[in-house]
Amino acid sequence: MTSTAKGVAPAGGQAQVVFDGIDVAYATGRDKIVHALDDIHLTLGEGEFVSLIGPSGCGKSTLLRVASDIITARKGICSVGGRTPRTARLKREIGFVFQDSALLEWRDVLQNVALPLEIEGMGRRERESRARELIATVGLKGFENAFPRQLSGGMRQRASIARAMSTSPKLLLMDEPFGALDQITRDRLNLELLELSQRERMTVLFVTHSIREAILLSDRVVVMTPRPGRIKRILDIDLPRPRQLSVRDSAAFQALARLGVAELEQGYEVHDTDH
Amino acid sequence: MTQTTEVLPPQAPSRLSGFVSEALPPTLTFIAIIAVWQAGVTWAGTPAYILPSPSRIWQALWAGGGSIFYHSGVTMVEAVAGFLLGSMMGVILGTVFAYSRLVTRSLMPFIIAANTIPVVAIAPIIILWFGNGLVSKIAVTAFLSFFPLALNMMKGLQSYDRTVMQVFHVAAATDVQRFLKMRLPSSLPYVFVGLKLNVTFSVIGAIVAEFVQADRGLGFVIMAAYRTLNMPRLWAAMLMSAVIGIVFFAIVALLERWLIPWHSSIRDDAKTG
Repeated sequence: MTSTAKGVAPAGGQAQVVFDGIDVAYATGRDKIVHALDDIHLTLGEGEFVSLIGPSGCGKSTLLRVASDIITARKGICSVGGRTPRTARLKREIGFVFQDSALLEWRDVLQNVALPLEIEGMGRRERESRARELIATVGLKGFENAFPRQLSGGMRQRASIARAMSTSPKLLLMDEPFGALDQITRDRLNLELLELSQRERMTVLFVTHSIREAILLSDRVVVMTPRPGRIKRILDIDLPRPRQLSVRDSAAFQALARLGVAELEQGYEVHDTDH
Repeated sequence: MTQTTEVLPPQAPSRLSGFVSEALPPTLTFIAIIAVWQAGVTWAGTPAYILPSPSRIWQALWAGGGSIFYHSGVTMVEAVAGFLLGSMMGVILGTVFAYSRLVTRSLMPFIIAANTIPVVAIAPIIILWFGNGLVSKIAVTAFLSFFPLALNMMKGLQSYDRTVMQVFHVAAATDVQRFLKMRLPSSLPYVFVGLKLNVTFSVIGAIVAEFVQADRGLGFVIMAAYRTLNMPRLWAAMLMSAVIGIVFFAIVALLERWLIPWHSSIRDDAKTG
């Protein structure tokens, strides 16, 4: 089967997320249909960190939305932990971090982080103690009672990550979570996400525009091309773990980055010659 | 002033000095106007029925055992009751509109049409229906003061952040949870725009209703004073209606500050977006 060539084989462990022939199209205005994803095959092993990278319009975010039951594929099967995305969502097994931190302005950090647990129906004392733990985990200790408007972009995104982790999801979806941050803040949050994902062994599907960020964090990097969104190539990132930011200076990292950029550029060419 | 790009500290140096710097300029302006008015009227010898001096208005305010305060109380009760009733109707209608396109399409043209009817035209009809007691005044006031809130409530409930909605979706929130924890709090800044309009309209509504048919209230005082050309008393009644309006507005504004301190229109710091 061609599936192996498309990278179905998980890096190890049980299959946590499976995309099997996912095809998504949606209408944008009259008679205009965007073919967002075409025949996507991808499997994430338990505890695996996979990044999606590619030019705008390649369907990276759409794939996250399929996995979280925000949209439904018109063809193909998606499963999360052996369940449909809808069941996994209703069982609170999915966490989602958006590019915009999307915190509730009228709630302090503690109440924002505790929100999913509150929705789930957990008691106040229990959910607040869990939220406090998570706030400490993402390095926001001391800001429990700060309101979003009082926080920097990086801090807001930390709170957003803590909120997504509050229900202890089996799958964490991250849609360019650091895209709007400056380089220094981004490096710092990359490092912390690296430690966090290595410690918690969460399965993470991460969308980014930065090939270096993708390589630093991931077990595998999926390079995608647009119109329709397809997987072009999957890079195995065999850099040893635990990793530090300094891994970016290694020859192996540089080689992977060059490879990734070359693959990406072809995607952009396809994109340009499209018109 | 706060529209400049410089970042201001989130809190003013102190509440007291903040109050003084805010309240001092209008207070001085007020004193200046009163002084010029008094001096001008005295100097020119203007008759009181054309323009009474501030001191004459002040006397009229206390004349007749301070009956104006009793009439002000009547108008306040009508205005507050009409405001509450109208606002409740506004909240319900606005919420239904926000959730049902069909209802919005079916009812909105007629509600807009009803709202364009001048209140002076419809007040006699309402009074004919509800009698000339308190109830009819409340009904006129409610009629005038439900529309702004209904519209703003609808807009507010629809103005939530789409990404936040997805957060609630992924968290598997129920519709009730989405309403209570997201859409309702998001709507509050709009709700207060509507409430501030309503509170001003409610005083107008009560007084207009009293114009048509009443034996008490500020509208009654104004009409009675006009017929006898007792202009200082008319001015005093007008002054009281302004004071009531200002006090009502201030109460709503304080409530807004207290309930939604997070909203950008309330905050002191100038942050774009």
